[in-house]
Amino acid sequence: MAEATLKAVPPDRTRVLQWLQAYGVYAGVALLMAVNIVVTPHFLTAENFRTQAVQVAPVIIVALGMALVIGTEGVDLSVGAVMALAASVTALYLGYGLLPALLVVAVFAAGTGLANGALVAFVGVQPIVATLALMVGGRGLALVLLPQLEDLRNPALASLGSGDVLGVPYLILIAAALALLVAFVVRRTTFGRQLLAIGDSRPAAQLAGLPVRRVLIVVYVACALLAAVAGVLATARLQASDPTSLGNLMELSAITAVVVGGTPLTGGRVNIAGTVAGAVLIQLLTATLIKHDLPPSWTQIAQAMVIVCAVYAARGRGKR
Amino acid sequence: MQRTTHRSLLLARPVVVALAAAVALTATSCAKSEDDAADGKKSPAAADAGQKVVTPKPGSRTCTVDAYGGRKIDLKGATVGFSQSEKEANPFRIAETQSIKDEAAKRGVKLLTANAQSQFSKQISDVQDLLAKGADLLVIAPLNSDGWDPVLQAAAAKKVPIVTIDRKINATPCKDYVSFIASDFVEQGRRAADRMIEATGGKGEVAILLGSAGNNVTTERTRGFKERVTEKAPGLKIVFEQTGDFTREKGQQVTEQLIQSKPAIKGIYAENDEMGLGAVAALKGAGKKAGDIEIVTVDGTRNAVQGVVDGWISGVIESNPRFGPLAFQTLDTFTQGREVPQDIVIQDSAYSADNAEQDLGKAY
Repeated sequence: MAEATLKAVPPDRTRVLQWLQAYGVYAGVALLMAVNIVVTPHFLTAENFRTQAVQVAPVIIVALGMALVIGTEGVDLSVGAVMALAASVTALYLGYGLLPALLVVAVFAAGTGLANGALVAFVGVQPIVATLALMVGGRGLALVLLPQLEDLRNPALASLGSGDVLGVPYLILIAAALALLVAFVVRRTTFGRQLLAIGDSRPAAQLAGLPVRRVLIVVYVACALLAAVAGVLATARLQASDPTSLGNLMELSAITAVVVGGTPLTGGRVNIAGTVAGAVLIQLLTATLIKHDLPPSWTQIAQAMVIVCAVYAARGRGKR
Repeated sequence: MQRTTHRSLLLARPVVVALAAAVALTATSCAKSEDDAADGKKSPAAADAGQKVVTPKPGSRTCTVDAYGGRKIDLKGATVGFSQSEKEANPFRIAETQSIKDEAAKRGVKLLTANAQSQFSKQISDVQDLLAKGADLLVIAPLNSDGWDPVLQAAAAKKVPIVTIDRKINATPCKDYVSFIASDFVEQGRRAADRMIEATGGKGEVAILLGSAGNNVTTERTRGFKERVTEKAPGLKIVFEQTGDFTREKGQQVTEQLIQSKPAIKGIYAENDEMGLGAVAALKGAGKKAGDIEIVTVDGTRNAVQGVVDGWISGVIESNPRFGPLAFQTLDTFTQGREVPQDIVIQDSAYSADNAEQDLGKAY
């Protein structure tokens, strides 16, 4: 669907793998749905779908940014830390009202993204190392700003977390809007093309005269801003700012969603619809195991199996 | 692989420096949180949190200075070193450290403190530092139970008595350390079960929000709860046990799944307050009313006790963090040459609808 590629698909790969790569994640979601409808009581209720969608919304939003970064052959490990940072900054500035607090959050997130982008684009540090530094530092800063959980009572923030339009929670609407926006940017804009070109081959993009550094910085800033949105939404839902635990391991969930969704880690291709489906797949898997009260360790094993399957399917085409 | 030109490097550095400066400036200057307006912040552990020891069983083992091989000193005028394990970022640790500091101030004892920030190697060097700085007595809140040999040897060489609080050190009592003061987590689980049986009438389906996997607090609080339920209320069925990792967010998410798939659930036992508050948030989000589902939690933080006052939580079993009075009393008795128990169990109170409002000040 919202998949853009710059290189032609090699025609000699086996068709099954191609099909799995393109549609495996949707098949997985459909399969889990079918299984759940049969075996899980109270699964086919609007309330249940609402719960799952609300829980997965922050993961989707973070994964969107992660997909962009991975499209440039990078990775952003600092997203969880940015979520924590967003949570603590929200709590710190909420006294001025919701909107000013959100602006300050945006400034902090943009700062983190800028630092990531500058390290990658100008200093030439590898993305995994650059963002690792910000992952550690970002959470540290979040904890310095707000050392312990703080309850928030701002009514505007509360309605952001639990309000809805015609029964559809704001969280879902925001996640859907952002997904459409990012898909549009990747498929229909020059910026999207440049991003994929850089991911395909940075030296070639540079030689072709593309603004490589600018694009990279914008991508990392966008990723950090999306993570901050997710952090604020998660905080709004919890009605408390908890920088110690918010966003823990979020970077791994986001990378899993992106990879399972059929975006190769080697860059040059971004599959937004697949990323959304990947996040939904993991959410459904977790929900299924929790609803049937299976030990939590099973969730981890099941996730690992999904990742291995996804990587196996991607094996044929990810290589260059 | 990239041509990082001279110019770009020159450019990059100011960017990073300016960023760091900007962050530091904005962060510290004009922050304004919701609470700033309405000041009057509680000071944790300020309320008298007197502490009682559970009466020791007759015949329990004790320790004296002579048996330990130390020397008698006067606690007044002595220097006590306190090593905290985790950063004071949660109410329990904040109240624990505060209680030690308050008691030291009250008794006029010189106190040296250190915080290991959840790093075990730092805690080992912290304690060695405390010894080097001249601590005559040590109070340790250990991060781990094992790996204390270097410290114990150093302390033994100087004949410094050690009291450990809230977690145990795996070593010989009255030889490597004097006493261990802690809550009885199994008993907390049992008392939570009592409260749950009372609230639900001993019938129906209940769920457990477990703590982090592989944590002794989790296993002991679970064991006590299950034991008591099997023994006293066979009609109460535990149909759901999932981990909430001791965090509010996970508690909320798991509870959302729970009330979806098991609408008949009558009670939720959360193994700490944070998960219980997450469960409350989930119930509110699902449009339930206070009292629809009985929630019992363990810890006794202010937020949870407020939840009892508001009617969302049926009961909070306290896990008392105020080790100060008991630790210093133990050291005092010990250094005077009298005998002290090797295992001291701190008395935990409880909050229910009857006492939550007037005891809110005691919560930490």
